Amino acid sequence: METLVSIILTIAGIYLLLGLLFAILFLFKGITKVDEAAIDSSWGFRLLILPGTICFWPVLLRKWIKGQNKAT
Amino acid sequence: MAVSYKPVLWNRQKKKYDQILWMGIALILGCFAIFEFLLHPTITIETLIIRATAFTAIILLHIILMIGPLCRLDKRFLPLLYNRRHLGVSMFLIALVHAAFCIIQFHALGDTNPIASVFLSNPNYQEISQYPFQTLGFFALIILMLMAVSSHDFWLNNLSPKMWKQLHMSVYIAYALLILHIALGTLQYEKDLFYTILLWSGFLTISGLHLVAGWKTRSQLRAEQNALKQEGYFEVALLEEISEKRAKAVFVDGQNIAIFKYDGKVSAVSNICKHQMGPLGEGKIVDGCITCPWHGYQYYPGNGQSPPPFKEKLATYRVKIIKDKIWINPSPFPEGTAVEPAIINHG
Repeated sequence: METLVSIILTIAGIYLLLGLLFAILFLFKGITKVDEAAIDSSWGFRLLILPGTICFWPVLLRKWIKGQNKAT
Repeated sequence: MAVSYKPVLWNRQKKKYDQILWMGIALILGCFAIFEFLLHPTITIETLIIRATAFTAIILLHIILMIGPLCRLDKRFLPLLYNRRHLGVSMFLIALVHAAFCIIQFHALGDTNPIASVFLSNPNYQEISQYPFQTLGFFALIILMLMAVSSHDFWLNNLSPKMWKQLHMSVYIAYALLILHIALGTLQYEKDLFYTILLWSGFLTISGLHLVAGWKTRSQLRAEQNALKQEGYFEVALLEEISEKRAKAVFVDGQNIAIFKYDGKVSAVSNICKHQMGPLGEGKIVDGCITCPWHGYQYYPGNGQSPPPFKEKLATYRVKIIKDKIWINPSPFPEGTAVEPAIINHG
């Protein structure tokens, strides 16, 4: 049980850490590529979606990559 | 260019809603704290915070869950629905304070990681009376957190309305977990019947309201469907069967019809291209026009007319959407007649 809990918490920790790293990059650069309504958005708005970006980063990463492919 | 996102779209009603909300929260917290302090004068401030935030959060969750069915039963409750997201986020923040104080008070003083300690400190997973109820609260909090962080419109647009809706419907899983969290936790130690009565009467109210609202919605749906049948409509497809900018071809009452889904709308035209009778339903919408898969002849989905200078025209049909189902009236309009598309409502 201890090992299982430890493994799950480590995986969750890594996922959230990757999410945080992604979020920093995404909120500076990627957000405007994914959603054009975010082009002139304030930093208050970007800060508000930071926790969600950390949680749902794979969805946004997929959209970002898809957007890049479309652009090229 | 789309309108730019704002952190919160404040207006007079929303400000008023939030003022009443936070006054209500302060009132519940304050009243509970006073009563608790009078009943248990030796209570520590940490325990008082844990209990007061738990009580306030579960009361708010009940109010949140009541708003939906109440609005379906009586439109006068609609103002409560108007800013329910703020109510949900407020409830999550209060639940978070409760969880943080619990973890600090009960799990942060040992050598084990405090979060791991929630799962490991009480291993009686097979006993109901001593079940580690905090784990249930932990999972409920994760669900409420995912809902709170995805409450901005940005997430509705970027997770897709379907995924967003599914995520936010999991509030019922969180509610079930919290009922068990309380029943297997506090109620096992609390001698006062007040909390038991309060919890189960809340549960029965929520269940009852949902059942009555569900019954009313079903009756309305049946009435609408019967009315459509009488007007000559046929149920032909589910919305999810048709991909965006694509179609489904159906034979109804001797008519060969292509139903197109595009830009949040659904339109129906004859499935036969005027050029060489190509199957338009196997084509797709390109630049806003239905495009025949055989030779690229194009038609507007709303009126069946080819874009100028071309003159080809298709018969059009009336479409309605009830719940997630598409209904078609197979009586064709004269070729090129504009018909209002059915609007897809994601709610």
